[in-house]
Amino acid sequence: MTELTHTVHSPAEISDATAKLRQSVSALELSPDEVMAIFDSWAKSLDARELDDLPGIPFLRMWLRRGTLEPIIARELGSNALHGGWTEYGRAKCKAFPLGVVGHWPAGNVEIQPILSMTCGLLGGNAALVRIPSALVDMTRLLMEKLVESDPGERLTRRIFMAAFDHRRKDLQEAMARVVDGAMIWGGEEAVLQIRALPFPHWTKIAVFGPRMSVAAMDAGAWSNPEEQKAWCLRMARDVWQFDQQACSSPQVLFLEKRQGQSTDQFLACLQRAFETENRAHPRSTIPAALTSEICQARASWLLNDPTHRAVFPPGPDWTLLVGEGSDIPQPTQGKTLTVLEVDDLLEAVSKFDGNMQTLGLGMANAEKELELALLAGKKGVDRIVKLGRMHVFVPPWDGVDLIRPMVRIVRHVSSAD
Amino acid sequence: MQPFEDKIERLLSVPPYAQPPEERHACLLEVLKEELDYACQRHTGYKNYIQQWPRDYRSATRVADLPFLPVRMLKANPPLSFVHQDEVKRTLTSSATTSQTPSRVVLDSPTARRMTKGIVSIVRDFIGPARRPYLVVDTPGFQGSGELGARGAAIQGLQPFASETTHCLTAGAQGELILDRDRLKQFAQDRQDTEVLVYGFTYILWNHLVQPLAAAGICLNLPKARILHSGGWKRLQDQAVEKAVFNEQLARLFGCSPDHIVDFYGMVESVGVIYPDCSAGNKHGPVFGDVIVRNPLTLEPVAAGEHGIVQVCSVLPTSFPGHLLLTEDMAQVLTYDGCPCGRRGISFRFAGRVPKAELRGCGNIENRRSATS
Repeated sequence: MTELTHTVHSPAEISDATAKLRQSVSALELSPDEVMAIFDSWAKSLDARELDDLPGIPFLRMWLRRGTLEPIIARELGSNALHGGWTEYGRAKCKAFPLGVVGHWPAGNVEIQPILSMTCGLLGGNAALVRIPSALVDMTRLLMEKLVESDPGERLTRRIFMAAFDHRRKDLQEAMARVVDGAMIWGGEEAVLQIRALPFPHWTKIAVFGPRMSVAAMDAGAWSNPEEQKAWCLRMARDVWQFDQQACSSPQVLFLEKRQGQSTDQFLACLQRAFETENRAHPRSTIPAALTSEICQARASWLLNDPTHRAVFPPGPDWTLLVGEGSDIPQPTQGKTLTVLEVDDLLEAVSKFDGNMQTLGLGMANAEKELELALLAGKKGVDRIVKLGRMHVFVPPWDGVDLIRPMVRIVRHVSSAD
Repeated sequence: MQPFEDKIERLLSVPPYAQPPEERHACLLEVLKEELDYACQRHTGYKNYIQQWPRDYRSATRVADLPFLPVRMLKANPPLSFVHQDEVKRTLTSSATTSQTPSRVVLDSPTARRMTKGIVSIVRDFIGPARRPYLVVDTPGFQGSGELGARGAAIQGLQPFASETTHCLTAGAQGELILDRDRLKQFAQDRQDTEVLVYGFTYILWNHLVQPLAAAGICLNLPKARILHSGGWKRLQDQAVEKAVFNEQLARLFGCSPDHIVDFYGMVESVGVIYPDCSAGNKHGPVFGDVIVRNPLTLEPVAAGEHGIVQVCSVLPTSFPGHLLLTEDMAQVLTYDGCPCGRRGISFRFAGRVPKAELRGCGNIENRRSATS
């Protein structure tokens, strides 16, 4: 079986691998349709029992399906792009061409991110040079083995090189940067700044998906409706659980719009049950001691510093609900620590957002208010406004930009006969 | 007088490591519950925290089920206090090696008195009760009232074992430490057949005493010296000083046996309780305190042999919430009873700091971006 994951020791290994990748791209044009056919088969192979416990697999299966990707290709690259055709725009025709070799620097907090990032570049017809974060090497290797099985002719896999090396190896990071025509960079501030400072050629197109945070909000009509309360709470819990609340799309705060004369106690009890249910279904198997310390610290400082604050949490660090009032967003703790804040008006909370906010997850009974909130959120820098329970669904635009288009060249042809 | 005060005094009056663990835990549990009752009456924020703890402390059957406070909460300024300002006798500050903000703990008279008694009880078990000449490898500047740092607190904590005190370092114009060789020489010459007590921070002993004198081939000829040191090894990391080498060179300098040297761990937040190494190289909790090592995944106590986050327990402080503190240190539990040294109860070894916590991944926001409007 072809091994796509390589432990890299020297810059020469990276330049040799890139030369082969470049050759594979120029030797064979792969249309998005052909790539999707392989992805579709890969998605089916991911429905295997041995992969059940790997985080993010349902998301990845959904992402790789033709039904998900086709409309994205059409929207980003043009209606005829599916089969590599030209799309007419008035008297001009446009067609997407690959950049060449795209380097991917995924973050270590989202387990399937190396693969998600890679697929974006491959759909544009590019080769992929992916640096795998050390903690994700084993999992990525398992998933890539399934891709190898789904691509017996190696039409796609011969244009993939997954590089495993310590992130502190500056020489290898630089070697990667020097050979790529496009770069997709994901992660926290420090990581993003370090990677952007690498010696990329002047023509390299760079797409950065940097640090952001997300919040959720519900109006009184939604949280107080006894028939829908349980479903909303389960959606909220799922959004918190995914990626251990470390993704940019993870909700850190839930704003609840107050309703005169109605307590949120019943809703909070329901939310507690939802967290307990999700924890039973998806318990942690490990946790860094530092995160446990942070969770204990967050609980203590929340309750000690303001006697009006409330909190609900189990004896262990599994999850935490910190309850209070106000529209100021506290520093995120992560690790399934959700701050629930009651506010008089959701617009007041959204008006305090700055450009850090990526996703606003909503549970709204009032459609007009939702539109008003969405407009204000967009103005305040929010890039995604989605229903609660769908905060992590990976569909472009992401961080306000497309996912495939940034890694292609759109070539315009105006016929000389006209 | 609070009902628990008599009980604390009784615990301070018995040998610190002789009680079987079950008996010790029952005593501690009873006193700590009473102290929690008292604390809740004295601080509304603390009461709020205790009341929302997932287990009611009043019905707890284990010390491990009582609500603990992360030690970083003691970095609050003004400090968390259960007493009025006019009752504060002294404020202790930590050395703040892991952050810029030191911990601050306030001591009223009863807590300060118990702090002294606690240290005396523990140290006596290791070096005996006698008063003896006390050589402080530091400057005299740490005495006095008001705020007292970790070094000053440790120096003062050993004062009850001193018949007389000599400081062998002075502070230079820039605050640098200078060894007063003449004073040290005089101290050594006058007390060669006497039992003496020596104390200094670990890195100060190494950098300002052992290194300059060992290079000159000096031996102080104090074979009956008992040398205590604390403060940790962090500042000696760059020099890669092994504990065995440290002990050997220090012993050679004083002309005593290396087993006269005792490394102890102490934190100002856990007043009155220090953790000296026993002859087996392990640490123990005294009868008026205990150590719980918690599994980071569950926060339950770990099994013997396992590592976890250290929680220190002590009945001594009643002027601030220092009785149940989750530290930022890791340790390995060796046994829950039966250390070869004969001391009863848990034996453990520290295993470094909990690595610095950092928000991970793309959800990590540090700097503000500007919004569009």
